[in-house]
Amino acid sequence: MSRQTSEIKAIPRRILISDPSDINGSYSSTPGGTLYSTTPGGTKIVYERAFLMNLRNSPISKTPPNWEIPKSIALKGSSPANRTEKTLHTKSSKHVKQNAKHTNGFRDDHEQFQLEM
Amino acid sequence: MSNLTEIENDKQEKQEQVDIPIDYSVKHPLQNCWALWYFENDRNNVWENNLKEIASFQTVEDFWSLYNHIKLASELKQGCDYSLFKKGVKPMWEDEANRRGGRWLISLEKKQRPNELDRFWLDIILCLIGEAFENSDEVCGATVNLRSKGDKIGLWTADATNGNAVLEIGRRLKERLRLPPKILIGYQSHKDTMDKSGSVTKSSYTL
Repeated sequence: MSRQTSEIKAIPRRILISDPSDINGSYSSTPGGTLYSTTPGGTKIVYERAFLMNLRNSPISKTPPNWEIPKSIALKGSSPANRTEKTLHTKSSKHVKQNAKHTNGFRDDHEQFQLEM
Repeated sequence: MSNLTEIENDKQEKQEQVDIPIDYSVKHPLQNCWALWYFENDRNNVWENNLKEIASFQTVEDFWSLYNHIKLASELKQGCDYSLFKKGVKPMWEDEANRRGGRWLISLEKKQRPNELDRFWLDIILCLIGEAFENSDEVCGATVNLRSKGDKIGLWTADATNGNAVLEIGRRLKERLRLPPKILIGYQSHKDTMDKSGSVTKSSYTL
């Protein structure tokens, strides 16, 4: 799988390896190790914990999935993980369905950036 | 001309946002596609009908989008499980990918549910999707079981006889979960778990 990069920017902790001297051994213990590293079996996409945790707060990560989460595991409004978002998705299934209908076309195009940052 | 203006605009936007300078405009691909399963203990149903595949994802952002909007493991009802497995592998012993395998088992005390269960579970997930193990090809998935007598977390691997891989995975697991050395974890083959006569399954490896 190749990396998807839209343009070149300075992105800390996401490292493009173009030469062996770019490799910083401290990022992981995978042989040749860094976030995107080559292993004996071929290329493996490795992410360290801190990098994954940082992405938790990206706008895409905060956007609910565009399908209905089963009630038994959907968050209730009061849950702490639900910090900023409105909890339309978990209030009642009727409400959710209506909401989904109204916004469907919109969501399909822009689902990743629905929430304000 | 318009390109230049765009670049200027981009720059300005950047400076306004800056705190966490991570590129949020792309989704980060994962090595594997992963599926989240949920098991609810409904005695009116047969076991397999209680087990449901909820969603699958293959980018970091799609994982968080799911995780940020579902209950934490500790908020599930008694008797329920979450499982995260490579897409195509069912979280059951009988699956072809699991049949010859086993699991590293972390047995938690009751008091660990409010404080540590969710951290352990998230850290295991991050190990899986971030491919933290050298022998990550051997990893099938992980489960968390909410049980009144003590919750359990298991990391499932494909081949119980592959000692080197099993041990590497176990060591890394202990390290990433920051388990103190005195806490021992055992690896049990699924076959031994199935064949056990009493309530205790023998461990093939202990760390």
